[in-house]
Amino acid sequence: MRRHLARRMLVVVSLLLLLLANVGGVGAQDPVTITWWTLASSESPEPAIRAVVEAFEAEHPHIKVDVTIMAESAYGDLMNTTIGAGEGAPDIAYFWETPWLPHTLDITDRLAADPNLSRDDYFEEYFNNWAVWNDRVVGLPFTVGANFVMYNRDVFDEAGVEYPTADWTPSDYIEIATALTDPDKRRWGGDRPRGPFRAVWRNIGATKPYSDDSTTVEGYINGPNSVAAYTWLWDLVDSGATPTPADIEVLGTEGTGPVDLFIAGRLGMATLNNGHMITAANAGVNFGIVPEPHVPGNERFVHAWALRASIWAGTEHPDEAYEFLSFWAGPEGQRINMEIGALIPSLPAVLEDYPDVDSDYFQGFMGVLNATQTAEWRSSHPCWRGAVVRAVSDAWDLIMLGEIGRDEVQATLDAMVEPAQAALDECVPRLGG
Amino acid sequence: MHSHWRKMTAQERRDAKTGYLALSPWMAGFIVFYAFPILATLYFSFTQWTLVEQPIWIGLDNYVRMFTRDPLFISSLKATTLFVALSLPLKLVLGLMLALLLNLKVPGMNFFRTVFFIPAVISGVAVSLMWIWFLQPDTGVVNTLLSYIGVQGPYWFWDLNWALPSVAIMSIWKVGGAAIIYLAGLQNIPAHLYEAAEIDGADKWRRFWRITLPLLTPTLFFQLIIELIDAFKIFTEAFVITKGGPLKATYFFLYYFYEEAFRNFNMGYASALALFLLVVIMGCTVFVYRTSGKWVFYEN
Repeated sequence: MRRHLARRMLVVVSLLLLLLANVGGVGAQDPVTITWWTLASSESPEPAIRAVVEAFEAEHPHIKVDVTIMAESAYGDLMNTTIGAGEGAPDIAYFWETPWLPHTLDITDRLAADPNLSRDDYFEEYFNNWAVWNDRVVGLPFTVGANFVMYNRDVFDEAGVEYPTADWTPSDYIEIATALTDPDKRRWGGDRPRGPFRAVWRNIGATKPYSDDSTTVEGYINGPNSVAAYTWLWDLVDSGATPTPADIEVLGTEGTGPVDLFIAGRLGMATLNNGHMITAANAGVNFGIVPEPHVPGNERFVHAWALRASIWAGTEHPDEAYEFLSFWAGPEGQRINMEIGALIPSLPAVLEDYPDVDSDYFQGFMGVLNATQTAEWRSSHPCWRGAVVRAVSDAWDLIMLGEIGRDEVQATLDAMVEPAQAALDECVPRLGG
Repeated sequence: MHSHWRKMTAQERRDAKTGYLALSPWMAGFIVFYAFPILATLYFSFTQWTLVEQPIWIGLDNYVRMFTRDPLFISSLKATTLFVALSLPLKLVLGLMLALLLNLKVPGMNFFRTVFFIPAVISGVAVSLMWIWFLQPDTGVVNTLLSYIGVQGPYWFWDLNWALPSVAIMSIWKVGGAAIIYLAGLQNIPAHLYEAAEIDGADKWRRFWRITLPLLTPTLFFQLIIELIDAFKIFTEAFVITKGGPLKATYFFLYYFYEEAFRNFNMGYASALALFLLVVIMGCTVFVYRTSGKWVFYEN
């Protein structure tokens, strides 16, 4: 009886072991599923996103990508809530907000050990400004974007004005804009900047709104370089050669720049971006591209950006997530987006195959990609965007509205020091400096 | 409560249970979507919270900052109060006037009632974009019409002095919604009162002052509270059109709240701002309610 029982027990245990082994065997063959939240755009439209997933899964049968294409309006809220909750965030996503960066996976070692991808494959400025944070690699730069001045050759020819060249100065900009302006034809020479401390501010004298250590506003926001930059803005507004904010708001429908006015020939020059560049090229506009003007002897800056493609630090599949990230934001994924969408890749080797790469305007665009970026300072000073810029916006508005005289610029900026310092002091303990 | 329950008959208990059952979906909705968020907001208002990190308890610091060293709090409160003071009377008076017109017995009136109500159901963002075009200084409809009578129109949303009035004027767009409520009130006024007044020789103006307006005060009271709350919540126009400018002229309280919460990652402070607005709106509502006994007339 006891022997029977022992034999039965042995059979049951053996069967259980067999079953477990079998289950384990099936489990080992199951593909790992990683989640990817992304956004569709003209640069990376839905067919390109689907094609990336398809190509990746074909190459990596052990990984499945569960992609969710989101509306941009909902993206930030969902990222905030899931990252804040510590669960539910996607394995892969764009981590574009600075407060999200502590929650990205450090991929420094994985990238260094990757035989197929290296940081040297990317445009250096874009990699350093958009993939590196606190000396660690927190993502890969997906696509490149930049501001530059587009000039309408037909408008220049008609006005008999010479085309601008890369060595032009901020004073040249006002002079040329004035020469191009023709009220009878309802045409302006050039547009106005869309905010302070972008490229022209830096080009005028490496102007920064506060100290590098994020402690001091006095002497920066109201320092001589800042005053020179704001005075340049005052001169530009006073020249009458630029559309007012009301004109740009209504007649320029692109939101980020008056590309419609430019295409219609009502704006001789406009500080636009690569998306606008493609729009203008498709519209058949005869245009050229130069970097934003700068003062000779100063370093040249460009206002540029990339999308930071990152892995969430809470992922349960870091290896698989990295495999997908390096595919999507690496040469294969960016090439697919370039061929199906209108993506301008952040990898020079892929960009060489861009359809219009040899065109005159595209070469002009390529000329700004290696310039030092304003993001070098801005990205490491998160309080500028949210807090300090708002505290000093009155100075901007007063000049834009023509409410102050040229000799009042210094006093106006002096008055901004106190609110800006208060905003900085409140923000730095919260978001870091 | 317990003894009251015991004194009830079986039928009353069944009715009470049915009543509570019917109430429960609303109660659940209230607890989940209102009560809990309000309590959570109260807690977060005592914290420093960036949304993605754990909240840090800082006691009354947010409130101290709000009341002692935040110029933007003052700017936003000022802009919002001015907007309420401008738009509220405008909407109440024009809504009533429109309702009086829509109450006329003329053919095709249902068509006009529908047309005037449509703007009330159109998305705020779409309406804002449309008003950008209406009030564009050079090519906008309003300034073009003004130019025909020799008037140079202002820069509207982009003019320091006109930005806030422009948003207030824009709020009239939705006056059709208020007019429909007034219309319901007007149609509830018994006809025999007008007939009696007419026999007594009262003219139209006197009938309006002596009958229509007093008997419409319950509707006016309701509209006043609804429009007051709505005016304090002004946001979309600043978000879409003015971005709070120029020179903070339209830097409304909710826009400031939005910037703090979602652009500046300062959810703790934004929670304190939200609670302050709640208290202000509650205070105004209580004030209106308390004074209602002196000017609201019910038929009975």
